[in-house]
Amino acid sequence: MTELYIQSAVRITSDQVWVNGEKANITREKESAWLTDIYRHLGIQYPKFFKMDNLCKAGFLASEFAMKGTNLEPSEEKRDWSVLLFNRSSSLDNDQNYQKTIADSSNYFPSPAVFVYTLSNIVTGEIAIRNKIMGESCSYIMEKFDEELLYENGLIGLSEGKGINNLLIGWVEYIDGKCDVLLFHVSREKNANTICSWNNIGIKKFFL
Amino acid sequence: MDALVQELKEKVIQALNLEDVTPDDIDANAPLFGEGLGLDSIDALELIVLMERNYGIKLKNANEGKDIFKSIQVMADYISKNRTK
Repeated sequence: MTELYIQSAVRITSDQVWVNGEKANITREKESAWLTDIYRHLGIQYPKFFKMDNLCKAGFLASEFAMKGTNLEPSEEKRDWSVLLFNRSSSLDNDQNYQKTIADSSNYFPSPAVFVYTLSNIVTGEIAIRNKIMGESCSYIMEKFDEELLYENGLIGLSEGKGINNLLIGWVEYIDGKCDVLLFHVSREKNANTICSWNNIGIKKFFL
Repeated sequence: MDALVQELKEKVIQALNLEDVTPDDIDANAPLFGEGLGLDSIDALELIVLMERNYGIKLKNANEGKDIFKSIQVMADYISKNRTK
């Protein structure tokens, strides 16, 4: 029987970040976007971040916090890792931005850079590219956050024989300026970094 | 020409979301792709849109971009000869 062990939990809302249940002290800059402030807080150099849409930025930032706890470098190939994400609005936030670039026939300039983010699975791809994650990379749309469904997919993702020992799994939603992210690093094995096991009722405490 | 080069630097930074780059950071003669600013294929498409939107230049063949987007200076030269607005 596969067990799921939570190694890290990252919660990002429209104005707060919690890592493993502890609030991160993010400095807000004047005239700077919230997600950009979080990026600056992380102290990383990844210029591609600024090209991402807000959904991607939110998922990317959560993954950065989650991966920090692993002591693995982004450049290290991770063959036993997968990324499984869920949300409700898919890429609708950015779809609307793209629609604005084609709405006016007298000012019709479809933006390629905006268009490339009009799919929610681009988030899993960006995280996989950043961290050289070679396993499965999927995003699913569901009506609302469903812990049981996440748990079941976590079990499947880490089931015996797939060669996957680590999962980034969670809810990454961004729509109309509202950010709602809960991302976990879950592993098959318990180790010194394990916060708790995920036994189907175990993650509510991270929903801050 | 200097004014166009400066304007182009600002427009490229804005269009390509080069958040941590200022106009002074861009060497007008440095390659835009590969090294230099490290732009990618999507950025190339965005530059094609920039040329049309701001200067009325419509590239008939995307491959033309290879020569035109060598550097900011080469872009400025091309724009000054071909602009319609």
